[in-house]
Amino acid sequence: MTAAESAKILVNGLKDAGIGLIATLPDVNLSDLLREVEEAKDVIHVPLCREEEGIGICAGGYLVGKKCAAIMQNGGFFNSTNAIVSTLLQYQIPVLLLIYYAGDIGDRTFASTGSMTEPVLQALGIRYYLMRDIGDAPELIKRAQILAEDAKKPIALLLTKELLGRRPALTSL
Amino acid sequence: MKRYDCLKALAADVKDALVVSSAGAMTLEWNSLHPNDGNLRVRTLGLCSSIALGMALGLPHRKVVALDGDGSLLMNLCSLPTIARMRPTNLVHIVFDNEVYEASGSKKTATGAGTDLVGVARAAGIKNAQWAITVDEFAKAAAAALRGNELCFIGAKVSTERTAVPPFPIDEVENKYRFMRHIERSEKIEIFKTNLPASYI
Repeated sequence: MTAAESAKILVNGLKDAGIGLIATLPDVNLSDLLREVEEAKDVIHVPLCREEEGIGICAGGYLVGKKCAAIMQNGGFFNSTNAIVSTLLQYQIPVLLLIYYAGDIGDRTFASTGSMTEPVLQALGIRYYLMRDIGDAPELIKRAQILAEDAKKPIALLLTKELLGRRPALTSL
Repeated sequence: MKRYDCLKALAADVKDALVVSSAGAMTLEWNSLHPNDGNLRVRTLGLCSSIALGMALGLPHRKVVALDGDGSLLMNLCSLPTIARMRPTNLVHIVFDNEVYEASGSKKTATGAGTDLVGVARAAGIKNAQWAITVDEFAKAAAAALRGNELCFIGAKVSTERTAVPPFPIDEVENKYRFMRHIERSEKIEIFKTNLPASYI
């Protein structure tokens, strides 16, 4: 599966889950996905300067009736924690957090960021799902949105290089 | 100029606009002047303008007013280029600049040391950005912004004087539900519709 094909599947999955507003901040591994978000019809795309403002934008969108998602790197998720706690958790607002998992097993960069990603999600009480197989993605996205609405909380989906079609073969390293 | 007098002028013109207000005494003053389920009190310092932007984009035909403070906006300055980039014509961003972190012990903010938030807003790309120095100027600017169909930023230099008003009587979750039910009623939409499986009905 190429990165472009994965990106199409993920964005169609988000649209099928009813997502109407997506706030994003780039990471090179999210390039194809963000291009697909930009081109998506019937989705409001908000390119951010910093991830924490995206949490506010998603909260505002939800309060007026939009289902919202934020796409960011895990470093950006760390940047967002105050807003996640004192807005999303405090007001009980569901938002899908699609977090690119930098520093995943097999990467040669961002090991510290990768090692803290799941512990921070656990500390915040945010349920999360590790996505490696693009074949499962549309179903998981829909189920995550249902869970977010039922729990009235953010739910995180961890986007790995495999999922995004960006994992180089190990023999080339 | 007193913030309370500006808020009084705004309340006279606000009609059915949604109003998002930053944490602190301003929220209490606003809710005493204009108690309404279309008011949202923000708890995360800095997030007021971002939440208002999300609302403005989600409901493009409805006016949304952000009541921000200088300390709050300084903490989330990147909100300004994002607002400028999205350019929602239904958003009115008002900043009451008293040059102190009023809700956090009244230490001086950077605006007290010379930072010009209207200048920052303009430089970020919000063309219609202006200062109001008197209550009359503020009232005129706010009325024009509410009437018009253009992204507006209004900076209001105010004193640190607070007006004694009752506390905000509801918590964050009740605020959320009241606000969303207000949106459902006024927009004639259903936000909380869920499709339960047959076995749960």
